[in-house]
Amino acid sequence: MTVTYRVGVDIGGTFTDIVLLGSDGSIHTKKISSSVDNYARAIVEGLAEVFHETGVTGGDIEEIRHGTTVASNAILEHKGATTGLITTKGFRDVLEIRTLRMPRLYDIAWEKPAPLVERRLRRVVDERIAADGSVDRALDAADAEQAVDALLAEGVEAIAICLLNSYANPVHERMIADIVRRKAPDMPLSVSFEVLPEIKEYERTSTTVINAYVMPIVARYLRALRGGLDRAGVPARLLLMQSNGGLMTSEAATEKPMNIIESGPAGGVVGAQALARAKSMSGIITFDMGGTTAKAATVENGQVSRASEYSVGGGIMIGSRLLTGAGYLLKVPAIDLAEVGAGGGSLVWIDAGGSLQIGPESAGASPGPVCYDKGGENPTVTDANVVLGYINPGYLVGGAVKLNADKARAVFTEKVAGPLGLEVARAAHGAHLIAASNMIRAIRSVSTERGRDPRDFALFAFGGNGPLFACGMAESLGMTRVVVPPSPGLFSSFGLLYADVEHHYSRTFRRLTRKMDLAEVNSAWDALAGQARHQLEVEGFTGAAARVNRAASFHYQGQTFDLTVPVPDGPVDQAMLRHLEEAYGREHERTYGHRAGVEEPVELVSIQVVGQGLRTGGGVPDNVRPSRAEPDAPPPRRAYFGPDKGWIETPVVRRSDLATAMTGPLIVEEYDATCVVLPGWRASLDASRNIALDRG
Amino acid sequence: MADTRDPIAFELFKNAIFSIADEMALTVFRTTYSGVLKDNMDYSTGFADANGKLVAQGLTLPGHLGSIPTALESIMRHFGDTMVEGDVFIMNDPFDGGMHLPDIFVFKPLYHAGERLAFAATVCHHTDVGGRVAGSNASDSTEIYAEGLRIPPLRLYEAGKRNETIMSFIEKNVRLPVKVFGDLRAQLAACHIAEKQFAELVARYGATTVKAYMVETIDYAERLTRAALLKLPDGQWTFEDWIDDDGVDYGKPIRLFVTLTKKGDHMLVDWTGTSPQVKGAINNTLSFTKAASYTGVRSVLPPGIPNNEGVFRAIEVVCPPGTVGNGVLPAACAARGLTGFRMTDCVFGALAMMLPDKVYAAGDGGNTGISIGGYHADRSPFIYVDFTCGAWGARPWADGLDGNSHMFANMASHSIEVTEAEHPIQLLAYEFVPDKAGAGKFRGGVPFRRDYKFLEEEGVLQVRSDRRTHRPFGLYGGSPGQPSANYMNPDGANELVPSKLTMTIRKGDVFRHVLAGAGGWGDPLERDPAKVLKDVRNELLSPAKARADYGVVVDTATWTVDAGASERLRGEIRRRRGWTTTPVVQWTDPAPVAQAAE
Repeated sequence: MTVTYRVGVDIGGTFTDIVLLGSDGSIHTKKISSSVDNYARAIVEGLAEVFHETGVTGGDIEEIRHGTTVASNAILEHKGATTGLITTKGFRDVLEIRTLRMPRLYDIAWEKPAPLVERRLRRVVDERIAADGSVDRALDAADAEQAVDALLAEGVEAIAICLLNSYANPVHERMIADIVRRKAPDMPLSVSFEVLPEIKEYERTSTTVINAYVMPIVARYLRALRGGLDRAGVPARLLLMQSNGGLMTSEAATEKPMNIIESGPAGGVVGAQALARAKSMSGIITFDMGGTTAKAATVENGQVSRASEYSVGGGIMIGSRLLTGAGYLLKVPAIDLAEVGAGGGSLVWIDAGGSLQIGPESAGASPGPVCYDKGGENPTVTDANVVLGYINPGYLVGGAVKLNADKARAVFTEKVAGPLGLEVARAAHGAHLIAASNMIRAIRSVSTERGRDPRDFALFAFGGNGPLFACGMAESLGMTRVVVPPSPGLFSSFGLLYADVEHHYSRTFRRLTRKMDLAEVNSAWDALAGQARHQLEVEGFTGAAARVNRAASFHYQGQTFDLTVPVPDGPVDQAMLRHLEEAYGREHERTYGHRAGVEEPVELVSIQVVGQGLRTGGGVPDNVRPSRAEPDAPPPRRAYFGPDKGWIETPVVRRSDLATAMTGPLIVEEYDATCVVLPGWRASLDASRNIALDRG
Repeated sequence: MADTRDPIAFELFKNAIFSIADEMALTVFRTTYSGVLKDNMDYSTGFADANGKLVAQGLTLPGHLGSIPTALESIMRHFGDTMVEGDVFIMNDPFDGGMHLPDIFVFKPLYHAGERLAFAATVCHHTDVGGRVAGSNASDSTEIYAEGLRIPPLRLYEAGKRNETIMSFIEKNVRLPVKVFGDLRAQLAACHIAEKQFAELVARYGATTVKAYMVETIDYAERLTRAALLKLPDGQWTFEDWIDDDGVDYGKPIRLFVTLTKKGDHMLVDWTGTSPQVKGAINNTLSFTKAASYTGVRSVLPPGIPNNEGVFRAIEVVCPPGTVGNGVLPAACAARGLTGFRMTDCVFGALAMMLPDKVYAAGDGGNTGISIGGYHADRSPFIYVDFTCGAWGARPWADGLDGNSHMFANMASHSIEVTEAEHPIQLLAYEFVPDKAGAGKFRGGVPFRRDYKFLEEEGVLQVRSDRRTHRPFGLYGGSPGQPSANYMNPDGANELVPSKLTMTIRKGDVFRHVLAGAGGWGDPLERDPAKVLKDVRNELLSPAKARADYGVVVDTATWTVDAGASERLRGEIRRRRGWTTTPVVQWTDPAPVAQAAE
């Protein structure tokens, strides 16, 4: 029987990870330097190398799934298309004024991110749609022609159209879009009603502009990648990871590239979700820690928690998610990730008040931690882990990187232990704990801040540094189970293999539940569902393979924040409205600890539809087998577990050794990660080779 | 035993307690009904020790820093001896610990084994607390009695039982009780979350350690503040600024005067010399004056200092009672936001004398308050309250920000589309206005205008704006920003109306507010011509103004700077203006220099 392969490709700023999963459960992985000038090249070359090493051929590849930072890099580096914006007269500066709010208090040096469309390329047209959708002032067609001509004369490479109240009536936007299509048929065009038919002009304008801004870049990239794959003899179809954790075809991504902007961190969460479903785990919190940041998300009853908007380049959470205003606002559904600036490279320092601090500054890849011996002079979290004996100085990336433990100890003694009057192991342990407590804030913000008790969840740890901290963090949070998947350091690209095709649609639909025209709401929902079904059909998903789920956002009349609840199938009738009101009330109570009385009017805010294209070939096989051989069993070493327990001679094992359950203290050493099992915890392997850690 | 010298355990505790304060803030933020509260972040949450000393405050509104301790002092004065577990306190009286009537405080003492260990605290700006003008923000009330429901410190819950009398009194005295009760629920929920998480902290660390760490958290902030102050130069600096008037005594300017005395690790902010309290409702409470003072000083200190009592110990604020910065009964204070913003700017002015290369010129003056209220045909009330600001003063190293909130209030704008969906109002414009920013080597922020069209039959418009006669100052050679302006029916009669007004409006009336432009920093003739060109191309600056203010000649056909003509023009302006020294503070434009030959 021929083995076919699904390929996951995850492009990061430094490395491109390629994972091949065979239908027989075999896995091949490849890590190569990203080709920053032309990301597609590294993928094609990397695949060629894998083919060469394994004998797999292009024809054996069934599908390529891809997460990329091409679009977000274009935004962060301001290298997107020269974009023009057409908007309503009087509102030329909505894009630039933003919401007025800044993400930092007391900061005279704050700089607003430069608008993606400069003022001179923002043109206004004389027209006005009222809040109820009626035409208050008809579009002046000559004016619109002129605005388009002016932008074309300026040589714009993409055009965005966003008029006031167009969510309620897109007629004028459509007229202008027609003018653009007539005058410049090939011009990449992003029209707000098609992109995001939702209320709030800044959010909609910003999203529409971002979509236009990255359109030519993403199109060019996907064309190059397709061409490269074709030349390499890989005819398999290309699917792109979206920020929401679903996949979309490259054709759909070309049209709405705004959906693939934050696809990088999504893979790991989706992989975790698949494992949670397979193992029937009711709730997990994912914890992904790399070199500079740590990210957390939740999966509850098989569903990833999603946010309806986020900021591209918004930076890491600084203490609180209340402080918004950084980056570029993008209102598309995305996995709700909390991110803090704590990673292996985060600097350890003492502030003017004598308090030990971690990050958010990082030593980065260069010079990196002191123990890398590449000129780093300031202690980092990784140095602390070396001092503590958690990281084997001779076995990072399977021994490819040798660490200088003496330098790590020396710098900790001089810059941390000395000034604090502590012995060096205690100081390093303190740094480890404080890094963990910073990351706990990320976990709290996706759990307790939403009324979820982390103790009801398992901690799912991956990323190069996640398994190192997971046990201790779980202990602080009162969690009793930690799961570490195979190849934790490559799990983000591995996770791509688990995703399904997904398309999200939503529309503002503000109506009081007690004054709702049922025919109207049903027809609005049917229209969205029709869009989803059509898109799925185009991509080859029909019948049972095409699933359409509905959801709705509500608030109590007068509130501005909404909560989303799932909507059962079937027509919306009075009974269903009562059911939804109650579901909303329960969710409000669960999330915020209180709800209003039944007499309080509930308002429907937006209706949503998710179309899913389900794979016919089944999910990921349970018996995945990495191709890489494990090293010989390393000798035990001394590791420090805090002032109470002190230094302990700690066994060091390989993953496969856990076939027989063992109790901590224990260090599990792997090619791409190190897992620390604290005293009092029991480690075992499940059937899928996940390490399961349980507090005994 | 509590070992407060264990830096690691202490840091972990500190992380935990500030995360509780933030979590409280999020709870309020996400469930609130009041647009003022949410969009203006006009609320605060915090944590105090058993004696009411502030330990942690959620990061929301700089304008509230210092308000919780003042209110808690009053609660302690009234109930310190009789407080029991399960009590919850409510208050808003500006003359007994509050700030202005819309700000309702809710406190919950937290107990462990019968001992009071801490207080959870919230304060929120409510949509309406009654009084003569919808929104309870009127700037032209002349005594507190007209401003709404005054709630002295009261027990809202007595040992866990809600006092329904208080609730009914509130219900009958506010215009939108559903919103007020919804926001009170959010405040109570935040206190409840704090209680639960604080109990977990006590379970983990023990009561003794928690108490010791709360003290240490305050000491730590004090150490950080003092260490930072120590690095600033010693000396005394003063600054004077003026509010145009109070909207009652039209045309009578109100003086703000501050003296900063910095010695070693201590800073004194003294407002002696500030005008007596005024008739109009812009009188600050002392707590608000303190917040304004802290905002200025903190902005020149390094980031990362926790918001708590420790900061207050190192930065002392004095303001004589009976002044506009410390009003006494029956001072009206509903619209005192204006004075808070301007006192912040005044502190920045003094700090700019102390640290010339660290501080910005004056911004637009802080937010303009606009409220439109009335009744629909079915007699149901509507209240639209909008606060807006957005032009930062130029900085010694960069232009002022265009469209960014004032430092004193990290507010957000309301969505126009949501406003139109919920209120009988249509916005006709929200855009930058060219030629208003103060010129400078770095220019001031560009102001915007907002045009409001009224769609209901009849309503009351109230406006509180300023910086009309006293313009945003420029620094070290920078010009002042252009004044603010208000117009009725700009496309019709276009009548210029006062900066503060209360008037009846009718269907179709359009009110236009133009913010003041922000002040510039440094000699405009030193501005990079490429930056001038960029502003001209973006229609933020006219070619004529580019020539007059900056001596830069732009060719609008080719979008280039005529370098030769510009150099000649700059030389001409330099000669004619005759500066012997660069003016430190400019309140008015430099005398115009006749156009040189180009």
